[in-house]
This record gives sequence, structure tokens and C-alpha cells, in this order.
Amino acid sequence: MTRPVLLSTLLLAGIAALGGGSDAWAQSHGGGRALAPGVKVEVAPAPGSGSAPAAGKVDETALRYYARIGDGERLEAEIARLRALDPTWEPPKDLFAPQPTTPGIDETPFWNLVSAGKVAEARAAIAEQRRKSPSWQPSDKLLQELDLAESAGRIRSASDTKRWQEVVDAAAANPEAVACNRLDNAWRLAEAYAELKQTDRAFDTYKTIVTSCPKAKERRDTIFKASRHLSPDRLRELTALGATANPATGEDYSTVRTAEAELETGRLLERLGNSKAGALSAADLSRVQGIVRDKQDADGAIALGWYFQKQKNFAEAQSWFSQANGWAPSDRAAEGLVLAYNGLGEKAQARAAAAPWKGKSNRVDQALKAVDPPRGPAGGGRGGPQGPSELDRALARQDYAACIAIIRASIAKSGPTAALLQQRGWCLLELKRPSEAEAAFAEAQVLAAREPAKGGASAGGASAGAAVPRTPSAGGLPQSATLAQENAYGQAIARLATGDVAGLTRDLPRANMTAAQKAEIRASLMATEANRALEDKRYNDVLRLLDARKQLEPEPRNLGILRGWALYNLMRYDEAYDQFKAIDDRLSTEESREGVTITWKTIYHDW
Amino acid sequence: MTPSRRDVLIGTASLGLAAAGLAALPAGAFAAPFDAAAWRRYADRFLQPDGRIVDTGNKGVSHSEGQGYGMLLAAAAGDRAAFDRMWGWTQRTLMVRGDGLVAWRWTPDGGVTDRNNASDGDMLIAWALLRAAELWKTEAYRTAAVAIVKALEAGLLVEHAGLTVLLPGRDGFRKGDTLVLNPSYWIFPAIRAFAALPGGERWGRLTDAGLVLLSKARFGGFQLPPDWMALDTAGTVTVADGFKKQYGYDAVRVPLYLAWDGYRDPYYFRPYADLVAKFGGSTVPATVSLPGGTTTQVAASVGMLAVYRLACRLAGAGGDMVTVPPLAPDEDYYSTTLFHLSALAAQSLGIDP
Repeated sequence: MTRPVLLSTLLLAGIAALGGGSDAWAQSHGGGRALAPGVKVEVAPAPGSGSAPAAGKVDETALRYYARIGDGERLEAEIARLRALDPTWEPPKDLFAPQPTTPGIDETPFWNLVSAGKVAEARAAIAEQRRKSPSWQPSDKLLQELDLAESAGRIRSASDTKRWQEVVDAAAANPEAVACNRLDNAWRLAEAYAELKQTDRAFDTYKTIVTSCPKAKERRDTIFKASRHLSPDRLRELTALGATANPATGEDYSTVRTAEAELETGRLLERLGNSKAGALSAADLSRVQGIVRDKQDADGAIALGWYFQKQKNFAEAQSWFSQANGWAPSDRAAEGLVLAYNGLGEKAQARAAAAPWKGKSNRVDQALKAVDPPRGPAGGGRGGPQGPSELDRALARQDYAACIAIIRASIAKSGPTAALLQQRGWCLLELKRPSEAEAAFAEAQVLAAREPAKGGASAGGASAGAAVPRTPSAGGLPQSATLAQENAYGQAIARLATGDVAGLTRDLPRANMTAAQKAEIRASLMATEANRALEDKRYNDVLRLLDARKQLEPEPRNLGILRGWALYNLMRYDEAYDQFKAIDDRLSTEESREGVTITWKTIYHDW
Repeated sequence: MTPSRRDVLIGTASLGLAAAGLAALPAGAFAAPFDAAAWRRYADRFLQPDGRIVDTGNKGVSHSEGQGYGMLLAAAAGDRAAFDRMWGWTQRTLMVRGDGLVAWRWTPDGGVTDRNNASDGDMLIAWALLRAAELWKTEAYRTAAVAIVKALEAGLLVEHAGLTVLLPGRDGFRKGDTLVLNPSYWIFPAIRAFAALPGGERWGRLTDAGLVLLSKARFGGFQLPPDWMALDTAGTVTVADGFKKQYGYDAVRVPLYLAWDGYRDPYYFRPYADLVAKFGGSTVPATVSLPGGTTTQVAASVGMLAVYRLACRLAGAGGDMVTVPPLAPDEDYYSTTLFHLSALAAQSLGIDP
């Protein structure tokens, strides 16, 4: 019998799982086991494990309640539970017959309040009833439900306000409040132990969850939660337990095992992207490569490409950039590919890799400079047969500090040129110094206006005064940006980085840029605006902006997450879930998991 | 200025002193019944000839609450002359606002120094008047009571988050969308008496809301109500900012008023029994910070212990968990009052002679 563990109301979810007779209940509570270490739940012994309660002592209150409100599913669960308590017990024949008004007090109004989540109101109504009928006592089942709901609420509020000891105390007072069907509370308990530096108890709590809660997804999420509080060794132990202990039929626990690997990949990819981090061990490297390959994760492949590129292992780099481009073609992959081929000395291949993006992607155009250095001072000599200049080599290895130093030396030696100043602007941008970059582009612009036009003197008005055909092949293409356009584009990027959104939006239509450059700036502006709209809680605007942006460029991961939250806040939970899930499936990170988890909990009321 | 009711002058006995006092007493003393003799001793100590009740724990000031308590006790003891003197002084001195409500505070030096009302004082006075009207068959008391009840209804009963609640005073207590409320201003037996008056339906709803709020207002390890709580529009209850975040001299009256109105659900009395149980045979602290749970060095007064004894019995924990010493010769006004009110509540429940 499969049963949705998640029901529409918090409280009755508790009842149903409790009554499920199900694996969830049996496993989390069998033999007095509880999620709070050291605390045992008093549970009626399982059939055959000891003396069964006397027949006729079964509390049928909840059963009759479910029958009365016509909730078949919970009724069935309650029957299973009562049978587990007392195998000789049979459901009453008159369950669906209208009940004669019993001489006691009808508990229906109280149960209705409990079902509606109105716990305080239920307490008030019971107190009022007891005032009127001092001899009456509410059923144990009703009181247990209320206690459970209150304990769960207490754990939540204590944990929200970081009163960790109270979290532990509240869980100890009512261990059912941290059972599998209230997984979030169980996590809060584990976190409380971790915060109280009781790491062993935190581990025990996580361990109880991953060995007793049957759902693979819950075990997997628990591994992710635990990763913040446990050492890698213990996490590995936990994963092994979660992947094997007490398997339930129909659950695939391989996803539990991969959770740890994904966590590790996330960490490794972060390190890959961080130029300051040292080289990875062979084992780590092989692990991350395996996972990136399994998931066909283009972002991961690009990260690996750069990792090898920096080590001047151009062959490996080329292979990963190719891989990325194959899985999901992008100018970022092409950029890397161009530089990797260049490192291998395969210029023709590099140009071929750049071809689909040339004139459309600034990244690729910049990368091409390393392949075919522009003539003139920037080349630092004759270019051509002598191979890339010192500056080109610095750019190819993404050493922007060196770029600045080389340009400074070059200017000191032979004076500034528009091309040199512009390159300085790009390097400053990479170094996250946007204000200086903007100034460099502006200077370049002034200088470019004074420099005599080289070649293409007959070109149209847009290129007048500053047309610098970069490469023989690019020279004839109308799409290729002029130096003036490059400067304008560089300034625009710098202004984006300084946050001058309003000014940029105003000036963009009149700016001297290629259509591709304008589109790229516009896309960035829309991304910035979308972020701002989310902060202002204008969620429909977020979606509008992102949709418009998508027309210009594929949506990157971070904006995909943004889209997810906009959908979530518009209460389009199913779409939000699909959005987060798609991102998470490609590469699971803290932020994608958060989106998936929160949306899932919202949809299934599983707080 | 807010009618903050208690300061640290109350209950100045240190834990050490109080513990020494307890040791000298026979265990399991029964609550002393409130009778004419008890009333005479009370009046001798706290009632001035002009009809003013003196708060000896608070520099000899007087307030609407004290007048209300005094009038209730006089009616319970059948002392009409004293009742009239207190009511007379209250009308002359405190009912100076012009809206039928009572200025809450009077000092020997400055007279009425804060014209704001304190809703519990108004309620106690009106309830005492209703009891007197019945006892002495006097319509004038009843008319006066109804006037106060109507003034309260017009100015202090408000609808918030789907609940009918009582503002603690006419001015202040609204912070944006959030109300600051005092759980101990739910004087349940008084509210029930007002609900029985013609057109008293809103008071009935105030009772309902009180039980709901007290179920929500449970904080910290003992799940105690705060002296002051905040209620937002969503119905969420928190410990109020801007006040001492504690359970203490105000909130100790919560179980007293519940018991007095006949409530017996252990759920509503267990927090106090848990507090007593935690401190076992030694002394119970006078205040507990919320939600943190830090306790003061000051011990609960004799009157507070009397309330705890009652609460423990209703929580099903047994009254003998608490030993209530007899009132000391210099027992202060508040402690003495709580002591006698606990006896009246126990009598009305039929659990004490």
C-alpha cells in the first residue's frame, strides 16, 4: 500500500503518517526509537513483539471522525494502525451509519479546528467545554494531536530564533514532532545539536533520519543538510548508511549515494573557478571529470577547460571546451576553445571555432586577438610570424594584472594609443575596477578620434575615423566592431559594473555600437533590472524582463534561479518547482537545492 | 506614559530571606479563607479613612486597580461602609477624564499624574460595582457599573486579527499594525459578568479571544505568558518589544483569573506547575525572562505562591507542591491582595472552604 506521506494539512499529515501502519511509522518508531537521541517514545508493541493491549481498549475516536467527514484515505490508514496495535481488532460494522448522539461530548468541532490548523482555537474551545462540563475529558488522541502540533510549532520558533537548547528540549518532550513525517523539524533538531557543539548527537539524529525515513529523496536531502554540520568522513558514513539501511520497496537509493559526490563536485567546481586555489588532487580531478561527463554539464566542462588552460595543458583544455560546446554551444565555450587551440598552435582550428560567434560575441572577438593580434603598438612589434606578443600571452592566460603592467610599460616607452587604452579598459573590467575602466575607454575614445583612419578609409560613417580591421578575414565583415564601437561597448560594460543602469538605458539607443553589442548590453541591463524587480517584489516584471532577455541570449543559470523565485512568489509553485528541478538536475548546488526544497515543501505543506 | 504596573520594589525579599522564612513554617498549610477578620486586617493596613487603597510596595501611590481590588474584597466581606468610601474616593479623585473611564494613577505628592486609564482597573471597579448591586440590591451601583462597561466597550474593545481584544489603556498600545496587550487584563470572571449585561455580546467574544491568545502566548521552556505581548494582524503573538520581556508580576494573575472564572483545563495551568516543579521545595523566582528563561534573584511573594498553589491543583499536580506561608505583618499590598483573591477564587471553585 503506498500512501502519500504529504497531506494537505500539517496536522493531519501527522495523523496519517502516524496511523499509516506504514513503513514510515514502523521504521521511525519501532522499538521505541526516536529521532531525539536518548529519548524513547512510548509505542504500543508491534504485533507479536510482546503483550498486545487488551481487546476492546482500542481508541476509535479518530476512526469515527474520519468516517464522519468521509476521508477514506485517512480512515484506511487509521484502520491499519489500529490493526497493528491489536491484530484481533475489527473495524466496527456501523462505521458509516449515522451515529446516535453519544451521551458524552461530541469532539467533532475540536477535530475540525485541529484539521484547519487552528490549534489555539481548539485549545480554547476545549477549555470552554471543560468549564461547562467539569467531568468531561477530551480523548487522548485529540490531546496528543494538539501536543504534537504545538511541539512542532515550538521547535520551529525556537530554531528560527536560534534558541538551540529549547529546540532540543521541545523535541525531547514530544519526539513525534521530529519523526519522518516532520522531517524539517528533525533537521532543525540536528542543526540545534550541531550549534550546541554536540556533534555526535547531530550525527545520530541525521543517522536516524537516513536509516529510518524510507523515502530516497528525504535521505538525499538530509545528506545535503548534514553537509553543513558534519566532517567529510562522517558525511561519507552517513551516505553509506542512507544508501543501504532499511530499504523500502520501490525506492531508488542510488540518488542518496550520488548526493555526496555532487556535494563534492560543487566544492571542486568552486575551487576550479577560484584561481587562487591550488591544483586538485588526481583523485578529486578524476571524480569531478566523471560527474561532469555523466551529467553532460557544460558549465562544469568550461570550468574544467579553464582549469587545464591555466596549467597550459592546452590539449585537455581544448577537449573540455569542445565537450562543453558540444553539449550546449555557447560563446563562453567557444572563447575557451579558441584560446586552447591557439595554445596548441592550431590557429586555423581556433579561427574555425570562433567563426559562429565572430562579431556577435565580444568574448570571442577578444579571444581572437590572441590568435591574430591586431597590428600596431598593441602587438608590441611586427606580429605575424613572431607569434603572439607578451600582452597577447598575458591575455590568453587571463592574467589581467600582467596586462595592466605590460600596457603601462608600453605606454611609458612609446606613448598611448587608442587600442592600448581600450585593452587597458578590458583588463581593468576583468579586475573589477569598473570606474577606472570607464575612464580608460573614454580616453581611448578621445585618442581614437585623433588617430588617422587605417585602411577602410572608404567605410561608412559609423566607422569613420577609427576603423581598425582586426584580422584579414574580419576586415571585410560589416558586423565587425570598429575601435570606436569597441570603446563605446567597453564604456557601457563599465557603467553596468558601476550600477549606472538608468544612465545606460537612456544612452544605449544612441550609442555607437554594433547591433550585437547593443543586444548584449541590453540583455545585461534586463538582467540587472530583473534582479531589482525581484528585490522590489515586482514578480511579473521579473518574468517579463527575463522573457524579453531570453529573446536575445540563452538564460544563464543564475537568472534561471531568479526566474524560479519570481514564479514561486507569484504562487506558480508547480512551474517554480519544474524550473528549480531542471537547474538542479544539471548541477545541484546550495541555491538550486534551496529552490527545489522550499518549493516542494510549499506545494506539499511539509513545513 | 504607559500604565506599567509593577516595579522592582515589589517582592523585595531576597531568595535567601524567603527560604529562611519558609523553613520555619509547617508544611502543607491550607489557604486561609477570606473572611471578615481577614478583611479587617487588610483594611487596617491598606485602606485610608478617605477611601484610598495604598500600594505599600510602590511608594504609597494609589491606582484604579487597587481601588477595584479593595472594593471587591469589601463586597466579599460585606463591608458596605468601606465599599462606599472607596467608591467615593475613586469617583472624586480618579474619574476626572470626562469619558467615564478612570485615571489610573495617583501619587501622594502630585495627585493624578497620569490621566491614561488602565483597563484592568476600570474592569475591577465595574465588576465590584455589579457585585455590590446584587449584594445590597442597589440600582445606583449597577448604573455606575454599566456606564464604565460602556465606556470600556467604546474605547478599549477593538477587533484585531479576527479577535475581539482589550487595549490596556485608551492612549498608546498601537504600534503600526501591531497591538500591545496585557494577558493579565483578561479578568475572566469580570468579563463574564459584563457579557451577561444587555448587549454584552462583544464581551463574550473577548473571553473567546482571551483563551485563544493565552494558548498562543506561551514562551520559553516553561511556556509562560509574558507580562506584555504583541499581536499582529496575522494573529501572531510575540513578547512585546519596549517592555521587560518577562513573565512576572502582571502575568502571575493569568491563572488566578482563569481559575476564578471556573476554568479547569490543566493545559492552561501546567506552565505554572512546571515552574514550581522546577524550583522544587525551594523558592520560586518572581520573574522569568522570555523566551530566554533567566530567573531573577527576587523570590515570589506569599501572594504569588498562593496563586501557584491554586494553579498546581488545577494542573493536576497537587496543591501540596507549594507551601504558602502566612502573610507577614509587613506583607505588601500586592502580595496580600493576591493572597486573598486566590482564596476567593478557590472558594468559588469549591475546592477550598
